[in-house]
Amino acid sequence: MKKDVATGTASDALTPILARWSPVGRSGLLPALIEAQEAYGWLSEETLTRIANGLGVPLSEAFGVADFYAHLYTHPVGKKFVRVCDDVPCYLAGSEKICAAVEKHLRIRAGETTPDGAFTYEIVPCLGHCDHAPVVMVGSQVHENVTEDHVTDLVGK
Amino acid sequence: METKLVTANLGVVNPESIDDYIARGGYRALEKVTGEMSSPQLIDMLKAAGLIGRGGAAFPTALKRELAVKAEVTQPWPAPANVPAPYRRSSAFVICNADESETGTFKDRLLMEGDPFRILEGMAITAFVTCATNGFIYLRGEYPLAYERLSRAIDAARQRGFLGERILRDDFDFDIEIRRGAGAYICGEETALFESIEGKRGEPRAKPPFPTDAGLFQRPTVINNVETFANIPFIALEGADAYRQYGTAKSPGTRVVCVSGQVRKPGAYEIAMGMPLRQVIDDLAGGLREGRALQAVLIGGAAGVFLRPDEIDVPLDFQSLSAIGATFGSGAIMVMDDTADLRGVLKRIARFFKDESCGKCFPCQLGTQRQYEIVTRTVGAFHETPLHELGATMRDASLCGLGQTASSAILSAIDKGLV
Repeated sequence: MKKDVATGTASDALTPILARWSPVGRSGLLPALIEAQEAYGWLSEETLTRIANGLGVPLSEAFGVADFYAHLYTHPVGKKFVRVCDDVPCYLAGSEKICAAVEKHLRIRAGETTPDGAFTYEIVPCLGHCDHAPVVMVGSQVHENVTEDHVTDLVGK
Repeated sequence: METKLVTANLGVVNPESIDDYIARGGYRALEKVTGEMSSPQLIDMLKAAGLIGRGGAAFPTALKRELAVKAEVTQPWPAPANVPAPYRRSSAFVICNADESETGTFKDRLLMEGDPFRILEGMAITAFVTCATNGFIYLRGEYPLAYERLSRAIDAARQRGFLGERILRDDFDFDIEIRRGAGAYICGEETALFESIEGKRGEPRAKPPFPTDAGLFQRPTVINNVETFANIPFIALEGADAYRQYGTAKSPGTRVVCVSGQVRKPGAYEIAMGMPLRQVIDDLAGGLREGRALQAVLIGGAAGVFLRPDEIDVPLDFQSLSAIGATFGSGAIMVMDDTADLRGVLKRIARFFKDESCGKCFPCQLGTQRQYEIVTRTVGAFHETPLHELGATMRDASLCGLGQTASSAILSAIDKGLV
């Protein structure tokens, strides 16, 4: 079993999460996974095992749930996510150019993480800010009306 | 011109102040309902108002409550052991579907960020009608500001006695929990949403049983879209006749439409049902840019239908749209001028469904994949491809709405000669 790469001793963050969600058992699985990922960055086998045991869910099924959701990760990812919307309204507003600019600046393709672990870049479906397309989400921050020039600032290190 | 019923407070009320909400008439509807109305009276009022669900499936809102109340009588109370202990007192569940993920749709986000208490009030009124003590807001994970605002609103409502125990009277308890999604469009499908809250993969169930009989934890459940809940305080307070002053006879009230794409003023606009699409595009959204001509409008979202320029005089109400083979869907209106690459648009729609298919049923799992491959590699005429056969199979044989509608926009573009 591997140790959490990003955490060191921070695995105690799980204790309050499990205390919060164990009263509702399996129904607390998705929120516990989300909160654990917020604490550790991603969901290691060790984290999944503790959550599964804490909520009384078979590990295989906990993995099945973690694997189902696009924004839960069972492998290490970058510190921040750069999510570029390339759905219809953003496409009409030139999202292809934004994608190209991000790729050029970070030197990675969609789905990849920069070698220094700073960013993971994804192309995502509609982010619900279509009246201000194109839209990019960096971490939990939404940026509207993004231009190619803007990209350098958004993913500057 | 806009008709502001559910968006009346947006940009006016401080979304973080319950006092501000109350000062603008907030919670008067809940006070009226808990003080002087019975459950059947309120259901009759919603029925008379003719409120239709704003989520996309256009189901009568009153009927959901009526069916759930009927089903509750036959259920054991407290609930059996398959329901987590903290929820066993609830004879039914009230769920707000805030997993807004339909392409081109952002109205629910604006309602939650701008006037969160109205949604909580609409849910509390529904809980009173159905005797539910527990409710959930299933919120898409990509809406951090809405999460923050709703969380604070729930805390404030609890402090002021509008949520929690003994709300305005001794026998009314109701509380709301927010559950965040994690990037799955399919969880907006109601039964997939229940599975997700239950801690399982968000895969839809076969229907029947319907949610009003066996929804979350197999208990009677009323699930509505954010905008639907936002309509309820107005109707409860002002009555069915006041509500019917707006809209058409068969589609009463208003609708918040989300205009995006190649117009001057994209945005969310609340219109009286029946306003022609042309008026929404030209007057509210400022029309097309200088020198541009209309190529197409995609209405209803990725699961919607393309309209030709000669079809945009259609009145925006459920019946008129259905009469021309279109759908109101989520209220998304995506406008494309003559510079838009429609093949690029179709590729994105096909990619969306391929990525978001949950994989539970084969027609959708395989069909959306094949559809994407065909749309991506076709450079000639689309009508020579097997997209129609594929679409018919997905429509007829898929388990849920995702697969059933995954081909509708693409086929409409082909049939109308837009590509």
